[in-house]
Amino acid sequence: MRYTIALFSSLLLAAPMAADAQVPAQRILNANAEPQNWLTYGGSYQSQRFSTLKQITPENVKNLEQKWVLQDQVFGAWESNPLVVDGIMYVTERPNDVIALDAKTGKVFWLYRYTNSPDARVCCGANNRGVAMLGNTLYMGTLDAHLVAIDSRNGKPLWTVPVGDPKTGYSITMAPLAVKDKIIVGMGGGEYGIRGFIAAYDAATGKQAWRFNTIPGPGEPGHETWNEEDWMTGGASAWVTGSYDPQLNTIYWGIGNPGPDWNPNQRHGDNLYSDSVVALDADTGKLKWHFQFSPNDPYDYDSVQVPVLADMDWQGRPTKVMMWGNRNGFFYVLDRTSGKFLLGQPFVKVNWASGIDNNGRPMITPQPAGSPTYPGVQGGTNWYPPSYSPSTGYFYLSAWENYAAIFRPEEQQYVAGRNFSGGGFTILAPTPGAPTIGVGRRGPINNWTSEVGSGATIAIDPHTGKRVWSFPQYDVTDAGMLTTASDILFTGGREGYFYALDAKTGKELWKASLGGSIVNAPVTYQIDGKQYLTTISGHTLVTFALRE
Amino acid sequence: MHRAFRWTFPLACAWLALAGSDLANGQPAGRQYGTAEIQGGYRLYASQCALCHGQNGNTVQGVDLPRQQFKTVSTDDDIKNRITNGNATAGMPPFKFEPAELDSIVAYIRSGFDLSGTPFKVGDAGKGKALFDGKGGCTSCHRANGQGALTAPDLSDIGSLRQPAAIQRSLLEPTKGMVPMNRPVRIVTKDGRTIRGRRLNEDTFTVQLIDDGEHLVSLMKSDLREYELGTTSNMPSFMGKLSDDELSDLLAYLISLRG
Repeated sequence: MRYTIALFSSLLLAAPMAADAQVPAQRILNANAEPQNWLTYGGSYQSQRFSTLKQITPENVKNLEQKWVLQDQVFGAWESNPLVVDGIMYVTERPNDVIALDAKTGKVFWLYRYTNSPDARVCCGANNRGVAMLGNTLYMGTLDAHLVAIDSRNGKPLWTVPVGDPKTGYSITMAPLAVKDKIIVGMGGGEYGIRGFIAAYDAATGKQAWRFNTIPGPGEPGHETWNEEDWMTGGASAWVTGSYDPQLNTIYWGIGNPGPDWNPNQRHGDNLYSDSVVALDADTGKLKWHFQFSPNDPYDYDSVQVPVLADMDWQGRPTKVMMWGNRNGFFYVLDRTSGKFLLGQPFVKVNWASGIDNNGRPMITPQPAGSPTYPGVQGGTNWYPPSYSPSTGYFYLSAWENYAAIFRPEEQQYVAGRNFSGGGFTILAPTPGAPTIGVGRRGPINNWTSEVGSGATIAIDPHTGKRVWSFPQYDVTDAGMLTTASDILFTGGREGYFYALDAKTGKELWKASLGGSIVNAPVTYQIDGKQYLTTISGHTLVTFALRE
Repeated sequence: MHRAFRWTFPLACAWLALAGSDLANGQPAGRQYGTAEIQGGYRLYASQCALCHGQNGNTVQGVDLPRQQFKTVSTDDDIKNRITNGNATAGMPPFKFEPAELDSIVAYIRSGFDLSGTPFKVGDAGKGKALFDGKGGCTSCHRANGQGALTAPDLSDIGSLRQPAAIQRSLLEPTKGMVPMNRPVRIVTKDGRTIRGRRLNEDTFTVQLIDDGEHLVSLMKSDLREYELGTTSNMPSFMGKLSDDELSDLLAYLISLRG
């Protein structure tokens, strides 16, 4: 082609005068009406990760082919969840970089790099799970606990505000949630003896609008669930994005473990609101109700899973429910209007509790010292985003099977900024000295074998809490879920396989061996009439579509 | 269930706790550390470091603390500086420790994570080599420094991988010391071939092994009719077959194998 460079010295390209906001709050409210985009962390405020796109079907899924790849420039697990807005993808990489790229070709428009303070400290990797978008602005939480607003058109920072003190272990790894004119973030740092909180910021100015302390202070209801000063260092972080019900004007957020992690004797009481879900007024942050999954938790069973919202018939009555596959090994259904407990069933082997009583409280069966507790420290599942398909009516999640830990509580003195874990744990293995499952996958060789635990993608019927089907994996899996209206479930695992499963039966329809751990959920979108599918495996972000 | 083959796994042994004390006792260049320091270091390690580095010190890619395998550090002072300053690009935060605490963490790392000090006697490595190559018959299955068969694990770096007490246990009670990955495999393919060997890697759909003819074999599980993992090691016990002195010589040789 002929390449012509013309100079328009006198013709200044007119900058748009007060351009219209690209993503007004109304668009996010109606995210389900524009399945060609992926507007929030969970795909919509319900966090169902269900797309009505159905160009890719069980019949043609075998014709998926790789369209483009983005190589990560940074070492470490890549847990980011991309957004796709009007053909442009926004994805983060470690520690706090944001990349805007053409979602059709993978070509990059701009890259923003945030420099963290040397004080930043995170227990479990320099992770970031993505941005939120509102108007023409992207919002990212940082490892040094700041909230940054970035112009979505040129990647330039608009404002940066401190949210927590990184010196004492506060951090942000989750993707923020945009609700109306506010940006909501929660704090990581549950291994550092922080006092957790969730806070909302004015999207335009970065001014704090409200703050909800996840551990109630003196005089507040729930404070009595802590002994003496323990509440001040009690953890209860919030490191995964919550959900929102616009009709109830309520946000729902999962809360992390109490601190110190493994020594409940250092924090007598139920330790509210650790290991709970809190329902907050979206405008004021005031608590409407709470539900605690694991009182006085000695196992690090963070309840930071994504609250999945759906409206369904429950025992003959139309009900607004919330579904929750908890790290503690139980699957729950709650009435999200009132917080009432509706159902709780184990989905993996559990021996720390014999069941859930009628009020939703676990009937605990602590194991003798030195004996294995099921599920182990990483839980029956963890922060990996699940999916609910209104089409099949099933709830899907990654489960860790036959996996146990021996917990060892120890007295530990709190020192600001230091890890405050109160002991340790040992992963159960059949032979002393045998390799065990790590926090993440180590290299391409599995020498720990499925004897220390294995993974499975499972489907649960929320009306019974029972498994409908299981798709076993040899290694454990940290992958999230995506379902589509054509009844396909897309997920992956640590082994680097990216799967399309029949969402009704669990049958494998297609797989690609991508070679790196898949540690978040795939997303889907559509451009120029073509449905795309993006997943991150190891250090590559891969986008698929049907062969022409 | 998408697995077509028959999975046989007659394992009935009790699940044992991982003692986390199964690695080399060597103390490379640096000073000698005392038991109290090592144990103090263990406590700090368990509460401050194990979350990322793992109880066995090997869950960060490219780093294996008890084996003294690091990405950027070498000396004791390097390790202390790394702990104090962290490594921002790798996501390691800075830690606040007193000098004595730093010493104790280094002591624990340099001890190869060995708290127990199970008694063992180390003899003459030269005599041990002769046993390894000769009377012991080790090279009929194992290999060390390029000599010997490939069917059992190569022992060229066993002295870095395992503590002396664990090596001794493997010599006396091979089945007890066998990690799951080394269970003998017996496979029958759908076309009727029988393959015996040792696994090198496995995932949901495939298994990679070295067969008893020393060939590298990769198989799709969907092509298998039977897949059996043995629970008994193929290795004979040396209990009663070698004298105490011979055992200590063989142990000395194996400890000296550091890759």
